Amino acid sequence: MTRLTVRGIGKTYADGTEALRGVDVHAADGEIVAILGGSGCGKTTLLRLIAGLDETTTGAIDVDGVSLTGTNPAISAVFQEPRLLPWLTAEANIAFGGRRLATEERQARMESLLARVGLAGYGKRWPRELSGGQQQRIAIARALIGHPGVLLLDEPFSALDPFTRASLHDLLLDLWRELRPTVLMVTHDIEEAVVLADRIVVMRPHPGRVQETLPVDLPRPRNRLAPAFDLTKRNVLRAINRSLAEVPSGPGPTSGNGFSPWV
Amino acid sequence: MVGLVIPVGLAILWEIAVRYGVVGGRLMPPPSRLAQTAWALARSGELLVHIEATMTRVLLGFALGATAGTLLGMLNGASPLANRLLDPSIQALRSVPSIAWVPLFILWLGIFETSKLALIALGVFFPVYLGIFTAIQSVDRKLIEVGRVFGLSSTGIALRITWPAVMPVWIASLRTGLGLGFMFVVAAELMGASEGLGYLLLDGQQMGRADSILVAMIIFALLGKASDSVLVALSRPVLRWQDTNRMRL
Repeated sequence: MTRLTVRGIGKTYADGTEALRGVDVHAADGEIVAILGGSGCGKTTLLRLIAGLDETTTGAIDVDGVSLTGTNPAISAVFQEPRLLPWLTAEANIAFGGRRLATEERQARMESLLARVGLAGYGKRWPRELSGGQQQRIAIARALIGHPGVLLLDEPFSALDPFTRASLHDLLLDLWRELRPTVLMVTHDIEEAVVLADRIVVMRPHPGRVQETLPVDLPRPRNRLAPAFDLTKRNVLRAINRSLAEVPSGPGPTSGNGFSPWV
Repeated sequence: MVGLVIPVGLAILWEIAVRYGVVGGRLMPPPSRLAQTAWALARSGELLVHIEATMTRVLLGFALGATAGTLLGMLNGASPLANRLLDPSIQALRSVPSIAWVPLFILWLGIFETSKLALIALGVFFPVYLGIFTAIQSVDRKLIEVGRVFGLSSTGIALRITWPAVMPVWIASLRTGLGLGFMFVVAAELMGASEGLGYLLLDGQQMGRADSILVAMIIFALLGKASDSVLVALSRPVLRWQDTNRMRL
């Protein structure tokens, strides 16, 4: 169980582009927090900073009160693309995420996860022999084999078809119930955020800042057709529209941010 | 097998043409003459001596050139400082045609084995160096990040991400290097040797024996192809993951 606290994070790149300014995000033990926003909100930048892949310009990131510098074994990630190592078989890719484990433990967890992600019997295949959805399942297993305290998800389902996406949402929730990592998930899909998250952090662009944080008080499993689900989605959309309306410069609400102000 | 139709057909036609006196066979001997010459060279043990001399030179020169090319390519690919320091000089040297080094090598290293090995190693060095250097620089950053997220050290990333990622290009560059090794062994042996297939070529020219020349050329082709096949066979197990037909023979 792990708490993640992001305090006053800012990131300005060497070319002077300010990607993030004063971002505060908190995720409690075992909570799923979705970071939602259009392009240019710095969502991915935020995740990269937490993963230790980039350095913050200002602010601090704490895991269970301990300040983070660089990558951390408590933090694992699934990227937008599966990023499997093409020279390792599916099972070796999963095992790669558990390098710190003892051999037997790693093997046992790998076999169990391979079955849990529905790919028992596919362990000896090369990544190129798997479909996009299957590769992403392996990537999820790789991220979870080490039982990370924090799981970062960077739009991991965005490249998949709606059917595969829905089945991976279910898979993720199953694994989350079992292992209870704290999940920070970046997405630009409102429905996905409402299906998965306990809280949704809406960001605004240029530079990326937190617009507001909305709780999702819906019981799991969530019914996408329920009126309450729809209501939550509308609330989120309104928040997004407010974030876009308040942007002083840059593209307007209807021009390419990925959201239309139709609420 | 289809690829054999043209050479075998031409050989048969040539054999018939010479047999029936349509053409003379002195400058372009028919296959039967070549077989006789090859057999005579083999029986006397001379052929084996030449093959052994040439292959020893190629393999030693290849080992030297490939090792140096791999190490320097890795160093310059991985270290920006080493790259800035060394690569301009290497690129400048690369623009000198390798054969142009011969007089200097002979002056420095004598006319015996050392200068020959140096020339072959030089020929092998550049494609291997360039191959691995370019491959290291173009390793997918996203895979490196996977290594970092899952806690690999710099050495771990080099061994478990960069090295497997550059392996296909490295092997392709070794194949190119080996091909050049054969090219340069001919050059080296033509410049003065008492044994080796290159010597057989030169001897054939001086004695007016086109059959010796052709036998040497055919053996060069067979040895080159066989060496390449061995390299491909050795590398196949580590490249099974590739989704290309590059390694098909």
